[in-house]
Amino acid sequence: MIELTINGKKVSTEPKSTILQTALKNDIYIPHLCYDKRLAPYGGCRLCLVEVEGQKKLLASCSTPTEEGMVVHTETPKLHKARGTVLELLLVHHPLDCPVCDKAGECDLQDMAYKYGKTESRFVRQKKSSPSDIRSPLIEMSSNRCVLCGKCVRICGEYQGCGALGMIGRGFPTTIKPAFGDVLECDYCGQCIDACPTGALLGKPYKFQARPWLLEEKETICPFCSCGCTLTVGVREGKILRSRGSEDKGINKGDLCGRGRFGFDYIYNKDRLKTPLIRLNGELVPASWQEALLYTAENLKSVINTYGPSSVGAIGSHRCTTEDNYMLAKFMRNVVGTNNIDSSARFGHAIVQNAFYMGFGVKAPPIRLDSPLGKELILVIESDPTVTHPMLGLNLMGAAKNGSRLVVIDSKETKLTRLGSKWMKLRPGTSHALLNGIIKVLFEESLFDRESVKNITNLRAIEDLTKGLSLDNVSDITGIPKGDIAGLARDIAKAKSRLISMTLGVSDNTKGLDTVLSAINLLIVLGEGPETLQIPAEFSNTYGLYKMDVRPDTGFEADKGVVEMLYKPGGLKAVYIVGEDPVVNFPNASKITETLRALEFLVVQDIALTQTAGLAHVVLPASSWAEKDGTFINAEGLCQTIRKLVDAPGQAMPDWQIIRNLSLAMGKDIGAGRLEDVQREVKDLLGKESYCFNGLLLNPLPYARLKAADGDYPLVLVIRDLLQHSGSMSTRSRSLSLVVADSFLEINDADASKYGISDNSYVKLTSPNGSIYLKSKVTGLVPQGVVFTPTHFPHAGVNLLTNERTSGTTVPDMVRVEPAGARPER
Amino acid sequence: MLSDKTIEEVEALKRRYPDPRGAILPSLYIAQREFGWLSPEAFEAVSIVLGVPKAHLRGVASFYAMYRHKPVGRHLIQLCTNVSCMIFGAEDLVSLLKNRYGAEVGGTSPDGRFSLVIMECIGACEAAPAMLVNEDFHNNLTENNITEILEKYK
Repeated sequence: MIELTINGKKVSTEPKSTILQTALKNDIYIPHLCYDKRLAPYGGCRLCLVEVEGQKKLLASCSTPTEEGMVVHTETPKLHKARGTVLELLLVHHPLDCPVCDKAGECDLQDMAYKYGKTESRFVRQKKSSPSDIRSPLIEMSSNRCVLCGKCVRICGEYQGCGALGMIGRGFPTTIKPAFGDVLECDYCGQCIDACPTGALLGKPYKFQARPWLLEEKETICPFCSCGCTLTVGVREGKILRSRGSEDKGINKGDLCGRGRFGFDYIYNKDRLKTPLIRLNGELVPASWQEALLYTAENLKSVINTYGPSSVGAIGSHRCTTEDNYMLAKFMRNVVGTNNIDSSARFGHAIVQNAFYMGFGVKAPPIRLDSPLGKELILVIESDPTVTHPMLGLNLMGAAKNGSRLVVIDSKETKLTRLGSKWMKLRPGTSHALLNGIIKVLFEESLFDRESVKNITNLRAIEDLTKGLSLDNVSDITGIPKGDIAGLARDIAKAKSRLISMTLGVSDNTKGLDTVLSAINLLIVLGEGPETLQIPAEFSNTYGLYKMDVRPDTGFEADKGVVEMLYKPGGLKAVYIVGEDPVVNFPNASKITETLRALEFLVVQDIALTQTAGLAHVVLPASSWAEKDGTFINAEGLCQTIRKLVDAPGQAMPDWQIIRNLSLAMGKDIGAGRLEDVQREVKDLLGKESYCFNGLLLNPLPYARLKAADGDYPLVLVIRDLLQHSGSMSTRSRSLSLVVADSFLEINDADASKYGISDNSYVKLTSPNGSIYLKSKVTGLVPQGVVFTPTHFPHAGVNLLTNERTSGTTVPDMVRVEPAGARPER
Repeated sequence: MLSDKTIEEVEALKRRYPDPRGAILPSLYIAQREFGWLSPEAFEAVSIVLGVPKAHLRGVASFYAMYRHKPVGRHLIQLCTNVSCMIFGAEDLVSLLKNRYGAEVGGTSPDGRFSLVIMECIGACEAAPAMLVNEDFHNNLTENNITEILEKYK
């Protein structure tokens, strides 16, 4: 520790920290424009100048390291004068258009000019007067207001790994813009907007919406992925106008991705439900709550009386709060009397939970979003966490920047393949085979401590399994050269600390139970524990709903999950779907539609009229995430409060209240008069969870060779999420739809010319399950023989082609493409 | 796109520095040699090899005046018109280049053969006027010998 004096106050600090860092840590404010703690010191703005005794010159505190015994002054007449002059010079060019600037009121430059600036300037020079660049969908660039601190350029390049902006030019005419002054095309994370100390970069959706001081700012949790970022939401007159990150707040510490920053406006989509709807003569017509609830209760009761409680099923929601999901589980178990309850987690998080229990013997995967930091070797398998879990993604990039070896195994070029140490190009869906190959090398070359793992069940079986493999064969299946596989195995074995990271979501069709289990096998052999495998839950409350027992597997074989509910026509008689749109989000949509149509009674409770709701007999309008109190549990298991920010439209109600009212209508009081009652029960349930460890178990799984591409369906279809979307609800966001509003099919140049497909034209994509039409995107970023598409968009119907995975084996979805001229009406 | 040989050249430069950003300036010169000027394609190509975003490359390049920021002819004439060269008739040479080849100051001859740039003193006052053609130095220029010299550059 270093001791120094700042403004007469003795402080101590870590070696290698700068004066500015030390001062800020000790609540001594030094003005600064270009410093950001996420970035390397820049020393550009000259506002953080300080006086150090014994030094003739003023020193920039952001880039001066502390020294033992330093005596620093941060507020002296000399410094005030120097800062005043710097501001005077900045304001020579900066337009004084604060009255029409959205930043005014929370602008660093304005605040500093207020504190240190002079009332009159001694300099005269033309003001910058170039027009704002408003071409980008979400970010407006007003270079007139720019003070060239370079924070946006550095955040974008150094921190987000995107590098869309540069400081173009020299001297006075320097402008922040994309390389050739073209339209800003980037991740649209909007981190540059929060970083900008002036109004040079602004979020377009918030433009001219309200003066910042008129906003009521409240904190809540982001409704999209499972990172659980804290949003600072600005509300005025009952409407959410913007969302931003607040420095040091929440697990994200102020960072946000584009979904969290711009995606909240999905709650303002015009298809929001305002009243309950009942199907009369084939049409859904508005009804009162009383009518709808009594109608629902009557029909559910009649199904229960005729076919028994086990003919009713329910699906919970990762978009709903923990309390909502708890109430749904309680309703199904206590009022209906069945364990037939499940969720989208069945195709993602439940598999992970299951694999962790089978292999590591633990009930909940111990997830830490910052776990990549400081690891010597990180392996990312067929995933792009920078898209699905942006905060985990930032930590992966941060680890790589600080010297971790980041090996990315993926079929597609992603941000991580570009920024990582090594990219191994793998055939999609074959990572299970690769992992087995790595384990084989470990055994063959005795790269692990056999003595310490000798008692683990099935060690011999794993060895036998890998003995049967040949590396040539593995290389053949995966497309990765033999030497690379052996090299990777040696690197993994040699590393002092290691981490495997991937994601597994509902639409994923290249990974499954087999992939997770083989990763677990690898780690167990190396003597690692469950914390070295990071597979975070998919959505904001996927973890929470799983904790609330929204799943069938509580001990009875006869319990029915989503497979029986949605893919077996006639299996169940009534289904109650809360906050989920399986027709859009789950694989094999036509099967789901067929099954739901065969039901005697379907109740859908959601915030919008989804495609699933369109099939229902009764539709119940629910409050969105911003219109109710409750909790989300993030991937780490952190229980975080979400707050009611605005009123729900029409008669929409929080889900837990609807469920309570429905139970009353069915003649059973399940308590829950107030939210606090539910929360008390939720707390009890969470408290019951005790640490469980069943011992390690290796699960030898031979890789069953995939069905080879045949003439009819020669291409592998890989579903990959988009950074701007999360599930399908985000496609209702106007802002996010400005960036990507439609699905597309990425296809390699060579494949495109082979099948006669030109860029940006409609193609017909056919799988054994059906055909859909998508716009093509011919690119060199994807390998031959594979096509990529996102699923988010309801009208694209990508999930009409895919198959549900019912066994643990990953079977890829095969397709063929052909040019389609125009897109036919559907 | 860059040729394989050029890519190898840039790769070799990249290996010389701990941070690929160290290799930006020489790599851009190589790309300029290949493309004739720093075109968007040139930035794209260097960006792919170095792994540095285009916006950053363009930012660096736009700071320096001596990169070619627009297309130039096959040969670049850089003629000095500072005091010594001016006294010895550099201005006449400027008109000659314009009349004979159609190369305006800052422009390119219509046949794409010569681009003319007026440069500041190149330290050849003792043998003024002087010019650079591409990387070759020529002095003691007269209206007669300049055409002779330029005959070598087709």
